[in-house]
Amino acid sequence: MKPPFDGVDPALCPRDPNTGEPLPPRKQPGYYPGFSTISQSPFWDEATREVIDKRVKHPPERKFFSAEAWNFWTSVFAHLIPQTDRAIDRQIPIVAVLDHRLAINKTAGYRYESMPPDRVVYEIGIEAIDLEAVHRYGGKFLVLPSADQDRVLQAIHDGRPEAAREIWKRMSVHRFWQMIMGDAIDAYYAHPWAWDEVGFGGPAYPRAYTRLERGEPEPWEVQEQRYEWLPPANTASAEVDSSQSHHTESGQHSLLDRLSEEAQQGAKR
Amino acid sequence: MKKPLLGAFQLPSSKKHMVGPLQSIHMPMRRFREYEEVDYAIVGVGSAGGVLLQRLARAGFNVVGLEAGPFWDTEHDWVSDEAGSHELYWTEPRVTGGSDPLALGANNCGKGVGGGSVHWAAFTPRLHRSDFEVYTLDGVGADWPITYDDIKPYYEQLELEMSVAGPAYYPWGHPHGYAYGPHPMGGVGNALIKGCTALNIPVSIGGPVAILSGSHGDRPHCIYRGFCIQGCKVGAKASTLVTHVPDAIRRGAELRDRSMVSRIELGKDGRVTGIHYFDIDGHSHFQRAKAVIVSGYSIETPRLLLNSACPGHEKGLGNSSGTLGCYLMAQAGNVVMGRFDQPVRMYKAPPAHALTEEFYETDPKNDFARGFAIQTVGPLPVAFGKQLLAAKKAWGWGLRREMMDYNHWAAFGLLGEILPWKDNCVTLSKDKDRFGLPVAHVSFNLHENDKRLIKAAKEKTEEVMHAAGATEVVQEARYAHLVGACRMGSDPRTSVVDKFGRSHDILNLFVCDGSVFPTQGSANPGLTIQALAARTADYLVSQGERIFTSNERNMKTSSMRRELAPPEAWGKGVPRLK
Ligand SMILES: Cc1cc2nc3c(=O)[nH]c(=O)nc-3n(C[C@H](O)[C@H](O)[C@H](O)COP(=O)(O)OP(=O)(O)OC[C@H]3O[C@@H](n4cnc5c(N)ncnc54)[C@H](O)[C@@H]3O)c2cc1C
Ligand code: SF4
Repeated sequence: MKPPFDGVDPALCPRDPNTGEPLPPRKQPGYYPGFSTISQSPFWDEATREVIDKRVKHPPERKFFSAEAWNFWTSVFAHLIPQTDRAIDRQIPIVAVLDHRLAINKTAGYRYESMPPDRVVYEIGIEAIDLEAVHRYGGKFLVLPSADQDRVLQAIHDGRPEAAREIWKRMSVHRFWQMIMGDAIDAYYAHPWAWDEVGFGGPAYPRAYTRLERGEPEPWEVQEQRYEWLPPANTASAEVDSSQSHHTESGQHSLLDRLSEEAQQGAKR
Repeated sequence: MKKPLLGAFQLPSSKKHMVGPLQSIHMPMRRFREYEEVDYAIVGVGSAGGVLLQRLARAGFNVVGLEAGPFWDTEHDWVSDEAGSHELYWTEPRVTGGSDPLALGANNCGKGVGGGSVHWAAFTPRLHRSDFEVYTLDGVGADWPITYDDIKPYYEQLELEMSVAGPAYYPWGHPHGYAYGPHPMGGVGNALIKGCTALNIPVSIGGPVAILSGSHGDRPHCIYRGFCIQGCKVGAKASTLVTHVPDAIRRGAELRDRSMVSRIELGKDGRVTGIHYFDIDGHSHFQRAKAVIVSGYSIETPRLLLNSACPGHEKGLGNSSGTLGCYLMAQAGNVVMGRFDQPVRMYKAPPAHALTEEFYETDPKNDFARGFAIQTVGPLPVAFGKQLLAAKKAWGWGLRREMMDYNHWAAFGLLGEILPWKDNCVTLSKDKDRFGLPVAHVSFNLHENDKRLIKAAKEKTEEVMHAAGATEVVQEARYAHLVGACRMGSDPRTSVVDKFGRSHDILNLFVCDGSVFPTQGSANPGLTIQALAARTADYLVSQGERIFTSNERNMKTSSMRRELAPPEAWGKGVPRLK
């Protein structure tokens, strides 16, 4: 029998809200026990089935990143979308999908004026995160304890990095965060195991959805069964904050403006 | 595991080119030689280009449509999957900037036959009467050189050709009814009905949306699987790929896919002589044409005309006014998300489902001109994850936890009119694409009226969401639907094309797509774009050979020619092949 935590540090696992004890990784987190979109694949059209089959069975191999860069981003994405609540063999590949995207130079179809090209973003992003890690905790990102790594990323999430000013002048902090989180979401929530987790029914051609109202599941979907869980105790990413949303981008104070203001005030002093 | 009743679903074994599971395209199609001078070369076979191609072919012209993207075989090429549908969008490089930069790519433009109509949600409301005279009524924006009555017959016609489903009585703008029955409601639609009803706001349910509520001819009805903006494999959702292109090909039009037009050539006599384009292997070609119509979308159309600058037209082809690329518009498209205690399962049913236009018109009580609509949207998991990222700054464990509640959320989109401003523009960037052509630089800035309108629209939409019973309401700022940048007008000093889409400067050069809009209202633009294309086609047909030879600009409006519609569209609704 496998040990319940199977190589995962229990401190990084979500907790039971009543006992505070870490919850062992599951094959399928989420509130839809036993729900499996893949089990429905015979009901999908062939083209869809092929694409999704490939995604599950043959994640792309490393082509673009160096081994070091691969390791670096693997640790970063383990914070952006943590998967310590998932059994090891059911963790969803993220860096592989990103690596493939960069290898074929697939982009969203535009670049913000305030951003370098995507490949450059992932190159100088390593340096920026490392500089922030050294500035805050005296070591490069990879050697820091998980909680400190979380806080380094939190600083970037908040748009308040303190180091790597030269890099942040070339690259908008806010857009950088959007890009790495966007890539994480693109890979994770495109995976059928994530669909099972959130209760999304997945492809339904040619079969159709027939129960449209009152959030009712199809005969092959399952009813929600909620349970309580808390994020790991020392994580920075548990909090969400809807007050931060602005209705225009111009309402946001860019780091660049703040830096130049600070510089001006510094000069005055 | 259960086996499907009818066995596993295999691809059709035939070599036919399929658009939808039932409709196959008549192949092989006609092929013009490059030294042959065709009558019309159309750049871009999207919403407008598809209608033009079909109309002009049916009228007997030699016409070729050059399309940068592929000619989709929907059974083989399309999937019911968010990530697997990336190829539907224009993902060639562009640069976006300004104080409120627009997301481009998947957020607006299509690539491939059908263009944006392949991945649109297919909401098809009409513009209101007031939209055609915004300047006269409100002293802001611009007037159109045409009125509602000019376009009304084309609205009616195109609603039949696309088979727009909607209520029998639609109360806003110029009240009218729809020939095809409305759709049943999904969870998000019900939330909008509930919220609006609680606040005494009239709401339209089940349409207007260009999705079949019952099967017609070669097109099956909607199966409520919610993948509309991934291209509807079912063929229930209208796109020019399934509604107009099959008829065009049957009538002798040529469709040259994977052909990226790089420059329009101007002859010594000041008339265009044809177009340069790159094929899929990067080889360059020149197609001779008696007239050229550019239908490349509000970004690529001005880009192509700017890239076609030549002696006598140094600022870009047909840009004597200096307004080419200017007055670009996007609609405010903030997404308001509400969490409900009971599951909603918003992925079921088309995202385009129900709407209200109660706040569409200028209200003197407001501190801004013009108005907005509120519509359903139903993001799938990847899109919703990004909305939570923006609206709640969610990441890490927070994002995972929020996403586990995906089925408890409903999302509404507001659609707010942003006025045309000169500084919102498409220019050429220093960045180059793979053919070495300068890419488009899009600059976008909100002005005072826009900001006030967005604030009010956001608050109203949030109020409706609360009234629907949401326990938590958050929102993300975003924009939808680019139009303008090549606007039509009566004055050649302030507009690029006349009311038929003809360049003020060059008599055999036309622009026909969303870029000719002087203002945009708060209606989704697709129906108006297709209606304008049918109207431009009627004009071209009525002018006949004179377009190719005469130096006269005849401004007489012709009457609508129903015989140019695919025949089964008239009275029954759906273009059919047989
Ligand atoms: C997610 C989404 C949802 C939408 N929902 C709705 C909706 O519900 N209702 C609605 O009314 N509208 C909707 N829209 C908007 C609608 O799709 C567009 O307004 C419409 O398709 C624009 O039509 P067009 O003819 O101007 O350009 P398009 O339809 O974009 O066609 C342009 C075509 O030209 C081709 N092209 C461009 N440049 C070149 C070149 N140089 N050479 C060759 N080919 C070229 C492109 O590949 C493309 O196929 C939506 C858009 C998106 C992105
Ligand atoms: S919901 Fe209807 S229109 Fe949308 S993709 Fe599915 S079948 Fe097509």
